[in-house]
Amino acid sequence: MTYLWNLIIVDPMLNGLIALSSLLPKAVEFGLAIIILTIVVRLILTPLTLRQLKSTKAMQSMQPKIQELQKKYAKNKQKLQQEMMKVYKEAGVNPISCMWPMLVQLPFWIALYQSIMRALATTPENLLDLSRHLYFWQIANQALPLNSHFLWLDLGQTDNYLILPILVGVSMWVQQKMTTAPSTDPSQQSMSRMMTLMMPFMFGILCMMFPSGLALFWLVSTVIGIATQYFIGGGWGYLRSSTARQSMPRQRDKW
Amino acid sequence: MRIKILIFLGIFCFLALSAGGCLGGQQKPLGFSGVISYDGILYLGSTDGKIVAVNPSARNQEMSFPSSDGEWSFAITMPSKGISCGPSSVPVNIYGTPVVVDGLVCIGTYNGKVLMMSPSARSQNLDFPQLRSSEWAYPRTEDGIEPIVGSPVAADDTVYVCSSDGRVYALDMTYGDEKWKSDPLGDKLWITPVVEEETVYVSTFDGHIYALSAKDGSLLPWAFEAEAGFVSSPVLYENTIFAGSFDRNLYAVRVGDNEPLWKFPGDNWFWAAPVVANGVVYAGCLDGKVYAIDSKTGNELWEFDAGSPIVSSPALADDLLVVACDSGEVYALDIFNGKLINEVSIDAPIQGALCIQEGIVYIRAQDNCLYAMDVGKGKTNWRFPLTIK
Repeated sequence: MTYLWNLIIVDPMLNGLIALSSLLPKAVEFGLAIIILTIVVRLILTPLTLRQLKSTKAMQSMQPKIQELQKKYAKNKQKLQQEMMKVYKEAGVNPISCMWPMLVQLPFWIALYQSIMRALATTPENLLDLSRHLYFWQIANQALPLNSHFLWLDLGQTDNYLILPILVGVSMWVQQKMTTAPSTDPSQQSMSRMMTLMMPFMFGILCMMFPSGLALFWLVSTVIGIATQYFIGGGWGYLRSSTARQSMPRQRDKW
Repeated sequence: MRIKILIFLGIFCFLALSAGGCLGGQQKPLGFSGVISYDGILYLGSTDGKIVAVNPSARNQEMSFPSSDGEWSFAITMPSKGISCGPSSVPVNIYGTPVVVDGLVCIGTYNGKVLMMSPSARSQNLDFPQLRSSEWAYPRTEDGIEPIVGSPVAADDTVYVCSSDGRVYALDMTYGDEKWKSDPLGDKLWITPVVEEETVYVSTFDGHIYALSAKDGSLLPWAFEAEAGFVSSPVLYENTIFAGSFDRNLYAVRVGDNEPLWKFPGDNWFWAAPVVANGVVYAGCLDGKVYAIDSKTGNELWEFDAGSPIVSSPALADDLLVVACDSGEVYALDIFNGKLINEVSIDAPIQGALCIQEGIVYIRAQDNCLYAMDVGKGKTNWRFPLTIK
């Protein structure tokens, strides 16, 4: 299984990443290659992303109705579930189908992650392992070992200045805010607020432990996600509405 | 509700920490230290960060370790970095083969330390370093230099070692003082340098072979530049340097020349440094073959397909060439025609340098065991687990 996974997905991506690096200026080769490959993979997966956005948007458009139901059946969870499913059925939306495009994309992101980690080859064992996954391409072999320096970063090490972990955390928070619909149910409200904070926080912490090459990939991927959401999903989404809501009580306090 | 939030926060932090700190994200380095024999004792590094002295005759008799016949082990640890769920200190990784100088054992470690150890002090388990026993550590501070992967080389009164910061360090053999360090020579230096008379030769990841003055580390006028980086340590034989490159060629470069004498192509990298004797270069390749090449012309004399990547350098014993491969097979070949004489197999990858002493091959495999093999007879004499407390 691992052999097939490497053969079909990881190895082509890894060799592509190294070959791409060899075509770029030596000083920024690997950092730029990560950015370009992340964009390319994002472009390839655009149909799936669009489908996911469409499903999410359809779900969001039903939010007023859902919130009404949540108010109405606040004490009867079972009835609430039944009524919600009825609404989804009438609108022809399956809440689980929103997940499919995301799940299909997942292997590509894992493969991209593995390719970056392999190409970085930070230890002798990793470098040795890399030799097992390289094609007979002179261009890829001659490019090795890759220059892991990019801007202030050593892509094989963690970012000592913590700039990248902060950027990843902030960008993830923005993306979460844009896509997370506010809920009227207080327990759900606190749960979604927690998720919006926890996910960026967790990724920020992970960025402090993993090589910054991986953090760069997360940052680029999140920024592209935000841009896609903005241009295709229709502006800042729930980010704007939540900030507007937050500023309202303050105005009232002034009066 | 606040308690709920705190519990969730705790779970998320725990998941983040365990994923980052324990799983890491990259293959865990083990090190592939080789074995050296000195005065009847074998010295090697284990995968759990110990330098171990083993007496083969004590192992033959299955005596308990350490026997009083020169056996000892010394654990080298370092403080664990960052946020981790493990212990506060962790074993270091050892890639190089120890060097024995005037009875003292010298090693470079992956946490960037060079250690000189006295067997008598280590066998008494005294605190390290015992200055009265001529022990030292470089640098003396808790922090090391960048990781050391190659083996140290001792010449005259100096120990030379290469580091991942791209520099060559020359240390005083008696006290461990830094005599000089070179300017950074490109990328990481994961190699063992060659020291010949007054010159230190290094091959680099960015495709250069540099010659440095052994006196002060300054660059000498000659340097060779290849199209791709060098992956193996250099070997010097009759004024010619042999080194494997990332472009899957083995280069032969005459010192002073700007063009290679010849290039020999393989189907993968020549990771291990070749062995040269009697005008023949014996080179193991990650394509699973060992090649015998005429050192002057670059013509292939014979090849042997071992069927698995060859990570450790081959070793010569009389008319036999012993080759170990990553799948655990050890082959004894006729050096004149590459014909298979005998083979022994173990159940672990072999990546460290081999040591041959009185017809017995000693190998530290990746299962953290030391093996003694009589390749001539095709059998394993003994296997000694290095997981010693």
